[in-house]
Amino acid sequence: MLDILKKLKFGARVLLAKSGGQPETIDLHGRPTVLMHAGDGPPFVYLHSTLGEGFMWLPFFQSLAKKFRVIVPTHPGFGGSGGFDRIDAVEDMAFHYVELLDALGLDEVVLGGVSLGGWIAAEFAVRWPERVKKLWIADAPGLWVEGRPLPDLFRVMQDRDALRRLLFHDPEGYMASLVIKKEVDEQTMLRGFQAMTVLARLVWERPYDPKLAERLRRVQCPTLLLWGDDDRLVPPAYGEAYKKHLPHAELKLIKGCGHLPMFEKEAEFVEALVAFAKD
Amino acid sequence: MKYFFFHLMSWPYLPDDFDAKYDSAWVWLPNSLYDPVKGHELYREYINTLALADELGFDGICVNEHHQNAYGLMPSPNVIAGALTQRTRRVKIAVVGNALPLYNPPLRVAEEFAMLDVMSGGRLIAGMVIGGGPEYFAYGVNPTFAREKFREALDLILKAWTVPGPFEWNSKHYYFRYVNPWPRPLQQPHPPIWIPGVGSKETIEFVAQRRFAYMGVPYFHIDVFRRVFQQFRDACAAAGYTASPEQMGWGVPIYVAETDKQARAEFEQPFWYFVKNLMKNIRLAPPGYTSPQSALAILKNQSLFLYSQKSWDDVEKGVFAIVGSPATVRQKLEHYQKELGCGVVLTGCQTGTMPHELARKSMELFAREVMPHTRGAG
Repeated sequence: MLDILKKLKFGARVLLAKSGGQPETIDLHGRPTVLMHAGDGPPFVYLHSTLGEGFMWLPFFQSLAKKFRVIVPTHPGFGGSGGFDRIDAVEDMAFHYVELLDALGLDEVVLGGVSLGGWIAAEFAVRWPERVKKLWIADAPGLWVEGRPLPDLFRVMQDRDALRRLLFHDPEGYMASLVIKKEVDEQTMLRGFQAMTVLARLVWERPYDPKLAERLRRVQCPTLLLWGDDDRLVPPAYGEAYKKHLPHAELKLIKGCGHLPMFEKEAEFVEALVAFAKD
Repeated sequence: MKYFFFHLMSWPYLPDDFDAKYDSAWVWLPNSLYDPVKGHELYREYINTLALADELGFDGICVNEHHQNAYGLMPSPNVIAGALTQRTRRVKIAVVGNALPLYNPPLRVAEEFAMLDVMSGGRLIAGMVIGGGPEYFAYGVNPTFAREKFREALDLILKAWTVPGPFEWNSKHYYFRYVNPWPRPLQQPHPPIWIPGVGSKETIEFVAQRRFAYMGVPYFHIDVFRRVFQQFRDACAAAGYTASPEQMGWGVPIYVAETDKQARAEFEQPFWYFVKNLMKNIRLAPPGYTSPQSALAILKNQSLFLYSQKSWDDVEKGVFAIVGSPATVRQKLEHYQKELGCGVVLTGCQTGTMPHELARKSMELFAREVMPHTRGAG
């Protein structure tokens, strides 16, 4: 009963939040790029995970938009964003986003993302450190951590129960059942295949960038590493690896949280980001 | 009608609790279950069986490539084909095929196929495949580039065989300063190209446009073959020519014994071992290996796939195998050959745990009492 109420409440908040960002499509040198934005304040760019949570204006975007001008682009190959044919590696995503900042006239932003999005942000920051005022990375792969191999997401992707166990601290909780539903319609399934195709393109042959660790020293801005303390897909050891190589990073663990803090521990996630990113 | 004898070289010694204990016969099935001493014996017997097909008058023999699995023990079919060039005198040797995206450089395929063609005196049929989904898990090759790499590699190999080298090659995935393989194939301009397919429209149209031969992989309901060959003829017509029967191959296991009853008794159990164990996870499809739409279609069409069949009745109704006395097999084969309009039948009988002597008995009965009668039909 409590779960149903919680679900209803979240649903209502999604509806309310929708009045925030509306999707727009801009053309980046022939690559249609979908983005949503809302709020005033310092520009804050959110790079989404393979879940593709940038496709709708979710409550945590709304919360962040109270403090920042939040910009949520959809990566090439996801949803309505094109340009996937020119993507081979996570690095290519970073080149895509420097052109997006140019197109939006943004010299300097708070940049970060969850999981794949966090990795893209790191690849961006080592190449254009002067464009990143502050960097945040949540539950992201990208590095090699000896003795801590990543579970094979591609092996379990069709098994929704296994997926929920991999992504959530509490796989029985209401957010887990909301994000990874038991039954999905065709549209959701197609979106899932498409998202996993992009991820496969980027990480199939090597699930990390062997050059990233050495390059992280180029990042001179304050960096927040935000990790679910029970992330079973990309465990906190990866956060520690990032911390080791980044000159000005702090690692903050969120208690009782899996791989997707923006869903499983939304309040703590938003609070940590606001505290870090505000002037 | 041309009859080819197909062998997978399956592993027949999986433990009885395989199904309960393991979720796949592919990729991550522990290789501690493989016993090299038994493996030695198996290769010897399997090669003997393929050599027998030559003596019995089959038109060809087929071998193919699979990695890290118990279903087919030829990670390099070219090694087996090399042995067969020395054990056979007359049959075509069809390697169906080499999974081109798994070879880097793919020039390796141009070289090894040319070797086989020269060694066999021009008896090679060169099969080119994208490779099944599990191979991409096994080899770590990016599945999202499988199709692009396949086409580039195929064009490279054909050019390497037909244009004097050395020449330079540049395409999206491959660059080579010097393309100049020795030896060159004996058959001119090059060995026949066979492309195995599982029914996708893209492959059917590609094979038709390039005037190669389409080999329908077994394990599908007869309705799938009906559709596929019609689509193939239409695609050839759209490309401005009439499809020749030899461009269409129908893969179907065939087992012949003295009576219908005996045939089923001998065939059924080894066949279910094959279906329930060795096919487990065979359609493992990594993301990007097909378009999302095709991935969805595969999920929806599971009922037309052999792995989903539950009873012998399902197998017979869907013509997933032709099993019976010589008279029964003759009658069914003639009927479907005519209906499908194909010019090649790829048949094999040693599925799963089928004993060597029974497999050979079936081949002998087929060669003596079926083949001479059904050759003209179709």
